Amino acid sequence: MKRFQWSCYHLIRLSLALVFVYAGAVKIQDIVAFAGHVAAYQILPYAMNYLVAATLPYVEFLAGVLLLLNVRVRPALVAIGSMTLLFMIALVSVLLRGLDIDCGCFDPAGGQDVSAGMALLRDVGLMTLVVLTWWLRSRLTSRSEERGTRNAEN
Amino acid sequence: MTDDLKRIVLEACVLIAFGALFGLTMNHQLVLDAFAGSLGPQRQVMKTDSAVQEHVTVALPMPVLLDEVQQLMTAGGLLIDARSPELFAAGHIKGAISLPFVGIDEVLADFIARTDQDQVVVTYCSGFGCPDSFDLGMRLIEEGFSDVRVFEGGYPEWRDAGLAVAGEDQ
Repeated sequence: MKRFQWSCYHLIRLSLALVFVYAGAVKIQDIVAFAGHVAAYQILPYAMNYLVAATLPYVEFLAGVLLLLNVRVRPALVAIGSMTLLFMIALVSVLLRGLDIDCGCFDPAGGQDVSAGMALLRDVGLMTLVVLTWWLRSRLTSRSEERGTRNAEN
Repeated sequence: MTDDLKRIVLEACVLIAFGALFGLTMNHQLVLDAFAGSLGPQRQVMKTDSAVQEHVTVALPMPVLLDEVQQLMTAGGLLIDARSPELFAAGHIKGAISLPFVGIDEVLADFIARTDQDQVVVTYCSGFGCPDSFDLGMRLIEEGFSDVRVFEGGYPEWRDAGLAVAGEDQ
């Protein structure tokens, strides 16, 4: 059982890591196109779209790299979870306003449009993975701490 | 909140701040240009020219939002409809002129001859899924227009906002 949880944790952690490293990397390659996608959400004044586009992909990339390296996993999960929550709020606002836009979640210059509804579903999936990784990490960490305490007592 | 959780949140904030700062360092000119409202975020693109591959710097039309389009029009900006003449005739933003991107080569020379290239121009088409406004903006920049912007919401957003429109269907 423990072995299964350990495998699940690393599998999910690596999957999340790859998703965010990829998402960050493709946006970093075309910040201007990504700014256009942020503008399409019609939430921010236009200069702020560029500020978000210039910073967000680097946070995604960095958090993904930390997850990949299994370093500072929980802070990286908090960062990824917060960003995903913000994306979800933005997508809900797009759906409520009936805007027909591509979410710009991955390749901002690519032709594969993803509707806000599909992007929202995907974000729900990512959020589930974030929570699952946190939970598995906590279980595995508390077990190893328990074992450490027992060894110290013995 | 436990001390452990506080530490994790603090580290997450440091992570976000570090990533954002790094991004700003890498893209400070783009952000400064955007806040200055000046056209010309430059980007490097690869252009394949037969055997030789060279780097060229291309200026891109800046996206503008609905209220900015109104401000630019009030300030004397030229609004250009990039859709087909039929769609323009059926309904367009009041005050806009028609310059269809499809078949642009036939009408561009005449348009350039009667237009001040230092004037602010805003292109639009049928909304966010429509590439013609952006493509027309790129073409106008190539032709020497100094301040080209794209209203990505286009005619649908303008009409749905209840703003002034003109055309046969109105």
